[in-house]
Amino acid sequence: MIYDPIDIALLLGKIALVFFVILTLAAYLVFAERKVLAWIQDRKGPNRVGPFGLLQPLADLIKLLTKEDFRPIGADKWLFYLAPAMAAIPAIMIFAIVPFGAPLTLFGHTVQLQVSDLNVGLLLFMALSSVAVYGVALGGWASNSKYALLGSIRGLAQLISYELSMGLSLVPVVMLARSFRLSDIVNAQAGCWFIVYQPLAFMIFLISIAAECKRIPFDLPEAEGELVAGFHTEYSGMRFGLFFVGEYINIIVLGGLATTFFLGGWHGPFLPPAVWFSAKVLAFAFLFIWVRGTLPRLRYDQLMHFGWKILTPLALVNILVTGWWLVLRG
Amino acid sequence: MPKLIIDDITVEVAEGTTVLEAAQAVDIPIPHFCWHPALGKAGACRACAVKMLEGPVKGIQMSCMLPVQDGMVVSTTDPEAVAMRRHIIEWLMINHPHDCPVCDEGGECQLQDFTIAAGHGIRRYSGKKRTHVNQDLGPFIQHEMNRCIQCYRCVRYYQEYAGGTDFGVMGSAGRVYFGRFQDGELESPFSGNLVDICPTGVFTDKTARFRARYWDYEMAPSVCSGCSLGCNTTPVARYRELLKITARKNEAVNGWFICDRGRFSNSAVNDPQRPRTPLVDGRESTRDEALEALALRIAETEQLYGTGSIAIVGSSRLALEAALLLPQLAQLTSAGALCYFTSEEERATTTSHLGLLSGGTSASQQEIRESDCIVVSGCDPLQDAPMLALAVRQAWRDGATVYVVGDGIVLPCEFTAVAAVDAVPLAAAKKPVLICSASCNSDHPAGLLVQHSQLKLAVIFPAANSYGAAQLAGEQGGVSLERAVASGKIKGIISVEADIPAHLLAGIPFVAALDWRMTETVRAAQIFLPTTAWVEMDGTSINNEGRAQRFKKVMNPGLPIRGLDPAGHPPHLHRTVPPGGEAQPAWQTLALLIERVSGEPVTEPFSGRWERLRGLDAGSEGVMIHDL
Amino acid sequence: MKILSDIAALVTGMWITWKHIFRRPVTIQYPEEKRTPYPRYRARIVLTRDPDGGERCVACQLCSGACPVDCITMQSAEDKDGRRYAEWFRINFSRCIFCGFCAEACPTLAIQMTPDFEICKRDIMDLVYEKEDLLIDGCGKSPDYNYYRHAGIGVTQPRGSGAEEKPPVDVRGLLP
Repeated sequence: MIYDPIDIALLLGKIALVFFVILTLAAYLVFAERKVLAWIQDRKGPNRVGPFGLLQPLADLIKLLTKEDFRPIGADKWLFYLAPAMAAIPAIMIFAIVPFGAPLTLFGHTVQLQVSDLNVGLLLFMALSSVAVYGVALGGWASNSKYALLGSIRGLAQLISYELSMGLSLVPVVMLARSFRLSDIVNAQAGCWFIVYQPLAFMIFLISIAAECKRIPFDLPEAEGELVAGFHTEYSGMRFGLFFVGEYINIIVLGGLATTFFLGGWHGPFLPPAVWFSAKVLAFAFLFIWVRGTLPRLRYDQLMHFGWKILTPLALVNILVTGWWLVLRG
Repeated sequence: MPKLIIDDITVEVAEGTTVLEAAQAVDIPIPHFCWHPALGKAGACRACAVKMLEGPVKGIQMSCMLPVQDGMVVSTTDPEAVAMRRHIIEWLMINHPHDCPVCDEGGECQLQDFTIAAGHGIRRYSGKKRTHVNQDLGPFIQHEMNRCIQCYRCVRYYQEYAGGTDFGVMGSAGRVYFGRFQDGELESPFSGNLVDICPTGVFTDKTARFRARYWDYEMAPSVCSGCSLGCNTTPVARYRELLKITARKNEAVNGWFICDRGRFSNSAVNDPQRPRTPLVDGRESTRDEALEALALRIAETEQLYGTGSIAIVGSSRLALEAALLLPQLAQLTSAGALCYFTSEEERATTTSHLGLLSGGTSASQQEIRESDCIVVSGCDPLQDAPMLALAVRQAWRDGATVYVVGDGIVLPCEFTAVAAVDAVPLAAAKKPVLICSASCNSDHPAGLLVQHSQLKLAVIFPAANSYGAAQLAGEQGGVSLERAVASGKIKGIISVEADIPAHLLAGIPFVAALDWRMTETVRAAQIFLPTTAWVEMDGTSINNEGRAQRFKKVMNPGLPIRGLDPAGHPPHLHRTVPPGGEAQPAWQTLALLIERVSGEPVTEPFSGRWERLRGLDAGSEGVMIHDL
Repeated sequence: MKILSDIAALVTGMWITWKHIFRRPVTIQYPEEKRTPYPRYRARIVLTRDPDGGERCVACQLCSGACPVDCITMQSAEDKDGRRYAEWFRINFSRCIFCGFCAEACPTLAIQMTPDFEICKRDIMDLVYEKEDLLIDGCGKSPDYNYYRHAGIGVTQPRGSGAEEKPPVDVRGLLP
């Protein structure tokens, strides 16, 4: 491979842009969530810091940074410090493979609006989302607290179960696009979005990613009513902040992937591709917030029952039907 | 023994018991005002109505007037009886001034309790209320006649039980009035019991007027320290101030009442001059510093003047706990003298009278009340132990003959003056009691005790714990301080709540004092450690009959809030120890001193034969120490 | 089918929350907007005076007895005319839970609750209110009531001339 300095500069620029946009978006997603939840509950939400409360994320950040960094007695020091990073970093790394716009031409170079267009992009996503499980597992284990341990055990079981149905729901997408490369998958939807061919796979994927981000109604690992704050009970300050922001990065990233796999990625009429992509991701984020404002938490046995006895068989059947249909179509 | 059924509970009680008492025996409460266990029945208030369902009498009856008979079936909850009692209460309340908020009885008022219990919560009668003019009954008792419900308890107590003549009932019909013929102080030395006995607020304690409410009282069973009788009391304190002292029932000792001297003598505890901080050479210091200095001075004195130059001095007002630790301290400091008495005369008379009492010859107040022949020999019970005089009156009311040897003695009953005890027909009496005093050295009754085996002796000792002090002095070979100082060897005195006259302290270079009163000894002491008064500690004292009784801590030591800022409210301050709250019981300070000298901690003052006193219940009748 | 009704239930829920997003919030922006409490609102406690200007409080200790958090303390004393009054009277508002038991227990209608709920202080010791902070120049609710006119002990009027009283009895009278 030849490393053109401009290529490298563009690549670093893309990474910086992605980092900046994702982190800012995650911070404002927290704010948006509080606002939308407030509206749903006939309240006003945060409106004291800055105009319309827009500086609230900044205030939250300052608060988290200046809080005492607390470690419980008997906690496993290194694992305890490692866990928040394990939760946040894989989440943001997944976005490296997401194409967020049509290729551009800059300074005579064709620039993919995607940090890295891997030929096994989808598999990398599956691998990284599995690594994210360790953040939950280690955080709960290293805290030396019964609430945290219970939360992380629940988290492990839940994430592993729903990862299965998530992976299975993506097989038809690969079958349709005939590629693991995400740019290929997006291009395959130039005519018709996969959601039209695969509404069932889309629903399974949607439910599974809700479970993967530990969002209501699948927030059993943190279940504040029963486990205080679940696996991150013992965390404070910016370490808690990393868990927290990791969750919102997950929402953006998984929303981006759902867009890529089922809603045609950046494809769309009239508007610029990046705008289409952003609009679709934000629509997903809103959906998550809306669901949080509406649905109660599942019971643990309901969660397991739903994952193993409904979602996974459905995804398998869906693969069979898709394969049969592809064979019939030729 | 008659057997009856009250509210479906079968009760078997002694002949002559009333239905009310039978019900109380099985914890069935029946409202009552005029009936009192010490005064008996009057049938004046009609509040104790019950319904007799079966048996010799039927229908509504007054349970306090009705002796139990076999086969009675009584219902206290029958609608007819309940309605009767409700109407009686409503009628009693017709003229009541409804001034409970400004009445000191409020909260501890029988009339309040039974009014609410009877369900009379709202006044229906719209007519006008009868009023009375009050009398000034002296500095101790407040009179408020409007609250009266004509139960006659006061006049029955005052005239019959206590033998007073200046207070009575007058007027007729609806104008019945309880008071004196004219304003003036009540003459009986037992008048304070009117406060306890009045079921409502006609007589209240003027010394504690408007000071506190029942639910704010700090109370504990205690024992009076006024004289050697050890009457049972319940002192009442609030805001570190001893407000008043009320009588506590102990059938064996004082019965239901106490004398006015015991009741109204709380000023020493509240005295603003009370020494409350440890002093070393007149300088305020901490307890640890003072103990350190004390241990050092003891060693110095012994170095300077040789061993045996220290005298450890207790007293007859010192609680038994501290008195028991004194021998240990004396041994550790190789003291030259262990003194429980200051004057030689007091030691000699007390010890010799104590010798007469060993072996069950002492008469309790109950035994005096039940005696049939009483000789008061050369002492004035009304002066030195007033409750003995009241006990003598009860015996006289039951038909006992009372003889008095000596002149100028007044008793609240009729008596025959005789020239000498020999003139009394003691041999004819079944339960004779001789009352004498340890301080007035008249005829020594030792010979009489030999002559009359049934004769019991009530000795009036000079102070609350004289018996205990004399007992310990006898056991430990204690001498009097007078003798010890006269030997010329004593150069240091450690006084533990002792009142040492100035002439004995004159030539002593080193004086240390533990006390809660500002005495001459405290003023003369180079090292002073504050101790607690009897209401501020758990302790034990032995009364004149050899009965060990426990008194409990009523309040925390410390300067009363009342004295802190007379102009306004108490200061806005957070503190864990109140000002002047460093005092601790004398025995605990002694234990600390012993620990400092010997290195071994003392946690329990009672050991050896005294061990049985460890768990002594303050609510019990006490333990006779010759049984130990 | 059950699954259809379940989905319908989910959609109904989502629809309801969707509608609420566009409702006007019920929030009142407190320090800028204030609502007027009702007259019987239970907030800062005051001690009132009777219509003749005397202190209503007789320091009977019923309020402190009723107080579930023990925030009221007082000492009663006797005035020259026999009136019982509070020598000092203290309410610790840092402890008070504004339950109103004290006002209900008060037999002389002295202790009353006002709608003034803004009593924050920088120093917690400033929340200890003494009698001079509590006593107001007014009758508050029940403006006509004077306890001493009804309780027959004669402070505001000679004995036997209160509202429901006959003149004092002549004990030495002989008539039946």
